[in-house]
Amino acid sequence: MLKVKAGDLDKMGLLFERYHRELFGYLYHMSGRPDVSEDIVQTVFYRMLKYRHTFTGEGSFRSWMYHLARNVLVDTAQKNKRMAYHHDMVEYDEKIGGDLAADEPLQKEQELAVLQEALSGLSPEHREVLVLSRFQELKYEEIARILDTTEGAIKVRVHRAMNELKKIYLRIEQ
Amino acid sequence: MNCDNVKEQLPEWLNEQLPAAEKAVLDDHLAQCPDCQQELSATRQLWQQMGKIRVPEPRPELRMQFYAMLDEFKEEEKVQQRSTWAVWVQQLKQWWEPQQALRLAYSLLLLGVGAIAGYWLQYRQTPTMAYKQQIDTLSTQVEEMRQMMMLSLLENPSATERLRAVSYTKEITDVDGRVIDALLTTLNNDPNVNVRLVTLEALAELANDARVREGLVHSLTKQESPLVQVALADVMVQLQEKKSIKPMRQLLRREDTNDLVKSKLEQTIRDLS
Repeated sequence: MLKVKAGDLDKMGLLFERYHRELFGYLYHMSGRPDVSEDIVQTVFYRMLKYRHTFTGEGSFRSWMYHLARNVLVDTAQKNKRMAYHHDMVEYDEKIGGDLAADEPLQKEQELAVLQEALSGLSPEHREVLVLSRFQELKYEEIARILDTTEGAIKVRVHRAMNELKKIYLRIEQ
Repeated sequence: MNCDNVKEQLPEWLNEQLPAAEKAVLDDHLAQCPDCQQELSATRQLWQQMGKIRVPEPRPELRMQFYAMLDEFKEEEKVQQRSTWAVWVQQLKQWWEPQQALRLAYSLLLLGVGAIAGYWLQYRQTPTMAYKQQIDTLSTQVEEMRQMMMLSLLENPSATERLRAVSYTKEITDVDGRVIDALLTTLNNDPNVNVRLVTLEALAELANDARVREGLVHSLTKQESPLVQVALADVMVQLQEKKSIKPMRQLLRREDTNDLVKSKLEQTIRDLS
């Protein structure tokens, strides 16, 4: 990224190849919509180019990327308040559900659907820390930097999010 | 370690983010606490299941769109750089528009007028310099006049005029040899005691001059009046003039010296030696 900052814009291609899947995953978990996620990936990479001078090289590139992604996510949500998590989620589940059905038992698949629904029922704050720690496999320290808070606060938030998830999961299952 | 703490750390445990020491403590606790074990397995189940959630692949169009965007951005960046140049050139051109040129000429003209006025004023100041020199010469001339007047006044038969002449010496800044000679002569020869006393006062102020000191010492033996003798003795103490001891001894030996003066002289000799 520092090379990009110095003016070598072609290096952005490398960064895209390395990180766009990860970023897409995060956005997908957060928004539940692959189309929106793709748009946001594009926007995030555009902003990286445009605001490349703001990258200090202090934190890792990943934290910076997530930081930008969060901002875009918030912007998008504000622009389109009707964008809800789970409606499109279910629709999309059916698409990948088809792939899974071939080699996994039906029951497992149902369980996963329930879990995804439970995740979609979480508040965005709770969903966010779970996504960042579980799916994106970021260290608490990095999450704290992205969310601009302390590691301790993240610890507590992850714990609460897990409890919340369990509750919702059990409620849906019944 | 209580169970609430343990439960709080479970996600970390599952996440493998727990430092080894804390993990050991937690494992110990889990081994003894069935409640926490159950909690762990429930959380773990959920945790592992979360791991099975698949994220779809982004469509290949995304990559194409990205590279298109990158190219476009690079293009934009170039245009922007060029456009900043264009803006500069345009601004420079603006300077040469007729109206702007007229303004520029006008301001340059104003500047020139100001400069000329400044020079003119400075030249005007030269006569005042000459004027000052004139005043200086005039004042030295006045001083010379005053000196001359004083010298001639000292020879006036009226004691009042002679007193005035002596008082003029205070106004003369540059006292030269002629004035000192005249004053010393007055001190030794003037028939009026008052004039002699005032002259002595004026000479005491000029005592920085070696000639004045010498004259004063010599004057001691020439004085007849007890008043002037005592005043001279005072001046000698004031100036700490040791050379005056000898003429004072001479005075003491003289028959006609006043008794009061004698005791004053003895006192003065003591003070000086």
